[in-house]
Amino acid sequence: MLESIPTAFLFFAMGLLAMAVPKGAARSALLVVIPLIAAWQVWTLPEGNLAPVTFFGLDLELMRVDRLSRVFGLIFCLIAALGNLYAWHLKDTVQQVAAPLYAGSAIGAVFAGDLVTLFFYWEGTAIASVFLIWARRTLGAYNTGLRYLIIQVGSGVILMAGIALLYAETGSIAFDRMTLGSLGTWCIFFAFGIKCAFPLLHNWLQDAYPAATITGTVVLSAFTTKLAVYALARGFAGTEILIYIGAIMTLFPIFFAEIENDMRRVLSYSLNNQLGFMVVGIGVGSEMALNGTAAHAFVHILYKALLFMSVGAVLYRTGKVKASELGGLYRTMPLTATFCLVGAASISAFPLFSGFIAKALILDQAAAHHHAIVWGALVFASAGVLSHSGIKIPFFTFFAHDSGMRPKEAPTHMLIAMGITAFLCIFIGVFPGTLYAILPYEVDYHPYTAAHVVGQLLLLCFALLAFGVLYRTGRHPAEIRCINVDSDVIYRKAAPSVVHIAARAISAIWQAHAGFWMRKTDLVLRGLYASHGPEGRMARVWPTGAMVLWIAILLGVTLAVIFVT
Amino acid sequence: MATESVHDVALTLHDQLPILQLVVPFLAAPLVMVVGAGRGVAWLIAFLASLAAFAISALLLAQVIDGGFLSYQIGGWAPPLGIEYRIDAVNAFLLFLISGVSTLVLPFAYESVKAEIAERNQALFYTCYLLCFAGLLGVTITGDAFNVFVFLEISSLSTYAIIAAGADRDRRALTAAYDYLVMGTIGATFFVIGLGLLYMMTGTLNMGDLADRIAPQTDNRTIQAAFAFIVVGMGLKIAIYPLHLWLPNAYTYAPSAVTAFLAATATKVAVYVLLRFSFSVFSPGFAFENYTYELIILPFAILAMFAASFIAIFQTDLKRMLAYSSIAQIGYMLLGLSLMNASGLAATMVHLFNHGITKAVLFMGVGALTLRAGSSFYASIRGMGRAMPLTAAAMVVGGLSLIGVPGTAGFISKWVLVQAAFEKGWWPVAFLIVLSSLLAVVYVWRFVETLYLHEPARDAAEAPLTMVVPIWITALACVWFGINTDITMTAANTAAETLLSGSTGLAEPSPWTSALPAGEASH
Amino acid sequence: MSDHRPATDDDLPALGRLLTWVDRPGSGTKLFRALGGFCAALLVIDLLISKHGHFHIEDVWAFYGVYGFLSFVCVIYGAKTLRFFAKRNEDYYGAQAIDREDYPLDQTGVTKEADDA
Repeated sequence: MLESIPTAFLFFAMGLLAMAVPKGAARSALLVVIPLIAAWQVWTLPEGNLAPVTFFGLDLELMRVDRLSRVFGLIFCLIAALGNLYAWHLKDTVQQVAAPLYAGSAIGAVFAGDLVTLFFYWEGTAIASVFLIWARRTLGAYNTGLRYLIIQVGSGVILMAGIALLYAETGSIAFDRMTLGSLGTWCIFFAFGIKCAFPLLHNWLQDAYPAATITGTVVLSAFTTKLAVYALARGFAGTEILIYIGAIMTLFPIFFAEIENDMRRVLSYSLNNQLGFMVVGIGVGSEMALNGTAAHAFVHILYKALLFMSVGAVLYRTGKVKASELGGLYRTMPLTATFCLVGAASISAFPLFSGFIAKALILDQAAAHHHAIVWGALVFASAGVLSHSGIKIPFFTFFAHDSGMRPKEAPTHMLIAMGITAFLCIFIGVFPGTLYAILPYEVDYHPYTAAHVVGQLLLLCFALLAFGVLYRTGRHPAEIRCINVDSDVIYRKAAPSVVHIAARAISAIWQAHAGFWMRKTDLVLRGLYASHGPEGRMARVWPTGAMVLWIAILLGVTLAVIFVT
Repeated sequence: MATESVHDVALTLHDQLPILQLVVPFLAAPLVMVVGAGRGVAWLIAFLASLAAFAISALLLAQVIDGGFLSYQIGGWAPPLGIEYRIDAVNAFLLFLISGVSTLVLPFAYESVKAEIAERNQALFYTCYLLCFAGLLGVTITGDAFNVFVFLEISSLSTYAIIAAGADRDRRALTAAYDYLVMGTIGATFFVIGLGLLYMMTGTLNMGDLADRIAPQTDNRTIQAAFAFIVVGMGLKIAIYPLHLWLPNAYTYAPSAVTAFLAATATKVAVYVLLRFSFSVFSPGFAFENYTYELIILPFAILAMFAASFIAIFQTDLKRMLAYSSIAQIGYMLLGLSLMNASGLAATMVHLFNHGITKAVLFMGVGALTLRAGSSFYASIRGMGRAMPLTAAAMVVGGLSLIGVPGTAGFISKWVLVQAAFEKGWWPVAFLIVLSSLLAVVYVWRFVETLYLHEPARDAAEAPLTMVVPIWITALACVWFGINTDITMTAANTAAETLLSGSTGLAEPSPWTSALPAGEASH
Repeated sequence: MSDHRPATDDDLPALGRLLTWVDRPGSGTKLFRALGGFCAALLVIDLLISKHGHFHIEDVWAFYGVYGFLSFVCVIYGAKTLRFFAKRNEDYYGAQAIDREDYPLDQTGVTKEADDA
């Protein structure tokens, strides 16, 4: 019976149920159990097109299960359960309903076999997720949420335009591999790119994720961007331009992350950088590279969530999240610190941690296909990941100078959620075969060769050494209260100023213009209308006059057009 | 032919449906006035008349939804001398909309009218309402050009009266009605001048006959001028962008039920008249007509989509905001019309319907809010989403449909419209459609935010059931027609094909009703 | 003072107490030297193993070490340069922008903690 229900519907049902069940343990338990059931369902589903529907004359495929969609669907279900476990303490209906709807939309999009279904769920993720930002219930979060929503919905609108164009061109709405060329495919590519945070389209991510609630950020970090990665892998695998886009994505966030003060924004930049690796894998497009992308997405969702969880736990206990205000928290939050270190080691790709066995696939493929410069950039970026996610996050939160704060250890449910996630990070690192077995294609790769392990350790340890040298000599950038302008300055600062100036100019012109016509029409019509109008307001006089003028003008113009042509 | 043998056969009620469509509300109108003030009786008669009209329109629509038309000759006088009612998918669809909206608005009106109109005026109000209703039906159903003008005046004059009925609540309704009267009369005058010019050149007033006689003299300046007068005159009734100035005040100060009814029907009927004249009397093949649409209607339609939306964004009164939004939405309909292809026309037809029900939900919602909050200013409906959850939720549905969110009726029309623009190859226009939808997001968000994200300004109860039920039926219709598009899209596509195939010519002179299949119309 | 605000290191959780070693004087230096030793050991191992990278340069002795060290230095100095251009005050986007705002305390465990105390 479970087979016939699209997995997304399970989540939507969960969202509705969450409204009915009273706040507290029952609701929290519901939110953990149903994603696990969904995960089991995804695990056991046979491959194929399981839920075909005809809608509006179109043949939709709500459940296209194959190895690529299954691995993404599985990790999405898993992280939904873990994220909800982390949010066990929550008594906020808005978030508890929005999170399942959001996760459900993302999962629905992953299993969408056609572009129309994809579009519906694509917009669903945008609309449901913004409530995780608004649930912070501050003016700043509200404005940020609006910016986020506009960009996300904009991505959907462009996607719809692309689908319409593609449909007009090919008459098909199937969601399969596409080739860039026509306007339609470029629109779809661009829409995917927005959600995937391509360079210069990326800033919604760093703007929105630090603005969400503590638990909301954990959920947000998992779905939207990885959905875009999935969509790219499905639609544009082997598109060469992605290799270069991905390489740039791995590079530029490193520098921003290094000097950012808000820890959750550091992680957002780091997230962007990790997406770059996946995008390179898609660009290379070989079976092994796509394996690498899927594997990296899988482990990345886990360790990124783990990092967001640990920073979130600190925020929950101290109310602070800025590097300049944190430090020395290992004393009273040693478990959180440990889990954070596990996440840091995983993202930095230390051997025996999950990042090591996944990222290697992509690097190996980039090298195997002779993209020397891109490969160099990725190795450089690997050292960069260490600098902000591997060192900066744990070091300046839990160690470094003592902030003097002695908060309690994170609540038990958060520790459990972090513990399970940390366990998975290590388990996958130690037993890579378990993950390799569920990847889209057959894996023929052995991460634990002497050369690979030693090479990786050399890279990371010498980078650590460099950190040691720079930090001890005072050359490491200090943690100070500040922000850094990124491309968001265009729409948060420049565009509003331009609009402001334009608005003032237009209103000045308009006032002059309206005044002129008001005087004229007053003059002409005063005699006629003085005796009319029960309330005799002059304000009522001019629209009528203007209207008569307009109708005369319009008739004149129409006649002119008709006669002249 | 089978039609020959029908001549002297006794007529069944079924054959008389076209005239019953009008007679029922027309007879009910004086009846309401005679029966008078007795509580609820006036309302009940009006409602039953509307319900009967709705049933009749559904039967008519069922007969023509797959093509073809019905021709009914008043008093057995054959056209072109006699008056002919001619029903095809285009106007049957519209009759269905008008009578459907009226049947939903009337239950809502029961409480609303009691609260907003003095008791001594209520019977008169329902009389005028029915006259307006019948007038709109008449404009739609008739196949005689001058008859259009007559019914237009019937509906317009009673519209002025029912707008002025808002004066019991706000005296400004009088000025609004007066302004509309002046402007509406000018518009009607232009229209009748156009008809006069046509009559001068052709000597006939039957639409089918007109079409036959216009076709050979398209270069005639008088005919061309007639077209200009008719377009501009109807443009005013439609509220094409610069000719919209009567609309905001009229909608804002009219009683809530009137606004809901008029917004969903009156401008749509005017669009229909424009469609009918552009396609069935004149022909889309005429060069001057094409130029008029491309150079005049299209730019103003796009202007309306943006300018009116911007004005809507900055309004402080929800009802007024919706009025401006209507002007913007009319832009979409005219845009579809000026694409001059089948899918564009289908988009116009389906948007006529979908926007009609969407605005009906929203204006009824505003009426319910006004009943409880005293006015529709944002300041006074703040936080009412918590006090009136049912009404507010239905309004959110309406708002989503107004934006064109997938799963709502509004999405279907915009989707078809965008497709039509692509089909024509005007993809910048398609882009503008999508862009202007973003403006709708902004103004819809403003009222949703006002309803939900503020502390309630006052304690208030949920609206009475007689309001909530019709509001929700209409809201569910918005969703239903957003998912199941069988009725709307079939009717719209048939209507578009009917229109594009041009005039069906003068009907066979056979008494009473004759049903003709599309292909055999002009043998 | 309540129990969750430990006055001395003795009140810390066991793991936390263990970790205080890193803040003892001289511990930093010890760690740094240990890391240096480990790096040296890696360099030695790097000599001994056979390597077959996709690029020849991968097989050069200590390539990854040098690349890692230089990359890190580049990142730091690149970031410092970027900070020179991109740094702004927190109220750059207005006093009520998200960047300026503290996380609402009523949604954290901080206030509940205060209630317990």
